[in-house]
Amino acid sequence: MENPLHHFEVHNIIPIHIGGLDLSISNAVIAMWVGLALVGSMFVLPSKRGLSLVPGKLQSVLEIAMEFIRNMVYEFIGEEEGKKYIPFIASLFLFILACNLIGMVPGSYTITCQIVVTGVFAIGIFIMTLVIGFSKHGLHFLGILIPPGIPKVLIPLMIPIEIISMIARPVSLSVRLFANMTAGHTILAVLFGLAGASLMIGWLPFGFTIAINGLEIAIAFIQAYIFTILTCVYIGDVIHLH
Amino acid sequence: MSKNSGFRQGVQLAFRLGTELTVATIIGGLMGYALDSFFEIKPWGLVVGVVFGVVAGCLGVYRVATKMNIEDEDTNNNLE
Repeated sequence: MENPLHHFEVHNIIPIHIGGLDLSISNAVIAMWVGLALVGSMFVLPSKRGLSLVPGKLQSVLEIAMEFIRNMVYEFIGEEEGKKYIPFIASLFLFILACNLIGMVPGSYTITCQIVVTGVFAIGIFIMTLVIGFSKHGLHFLGILIPPGIPKVLIPLMIPIEIISMIARPVSLSVRLFANMTAGHTILAVLFGLAGASLMIGWLPFGFTIAINGLEIAIAFIQAYIFTILTCVYIGDVIHLH
Repeated sequence: MSKNSGFRQGVQLAFRLGTELTVATIIGGLMGYALDSFFEIKPWGLVVGVVFGVVAGCLGVYRVATKMNIEDEDTNNNLE
């Protein structure tokens, strides 16, 4: 039986080594490029070519997607402040969604299965929220560590607790996406392995793989959505301090 | 606001609460462990860190839950 984890392995396709740095083009890098190209060709090219007042097929899909993202941003950040974050949130959502869906194509690679990728997203978002908070509120931003309405005696106790919950945010953000994608793909691989194991009963796990494939597509959407919505929540939290 | 905002809130909460509770505990424990090896006060850093982590996780869940309660009451009042 094939190793169910082998499709998470990264192979170098074009090895490039510059001064001890490994900048090789691997299958993960190519999957990421395909994701970028997919989002770019679906969203950037039609808008460059000129949009029509009466939307065509592609344009109406894009408009629905953008409206969905805009509502999400307005709901959690607010209409006034939220406007300038729409491009960021939209590209985050579409890129993660594209990468998750590319992973569903047999033989391709899911880059969101690598905790490095999701971790870098989450750390970038964490640093971004800190920068937004400090530039908007100055040193008052440190007040986020002291919840409102607590007695003064408890303040030294609350500060470490709040620091822990601040640091837990990017970790849980990255682990959630990584764990969901990895678990789903591992289950699929295990079931496929069982389907090939015996001809007599192999149809049973094979039937399950079809059902779980549908479930995985739903998970790809839901996880991209959760990731962006929590980004919105975190940005909203630092903008509206308590 | 938008018409499926209830669904959004629900999905968001469902995926948020579980991981937040565990991750806060793990982060608290790791920070305590780091303090242990830094100041050589084994095992007290780990003990205090885990307790703080659990408190942070519970506090986060408690906050989200109270917010959810208030929103529920709002919608109930609107219906009546």
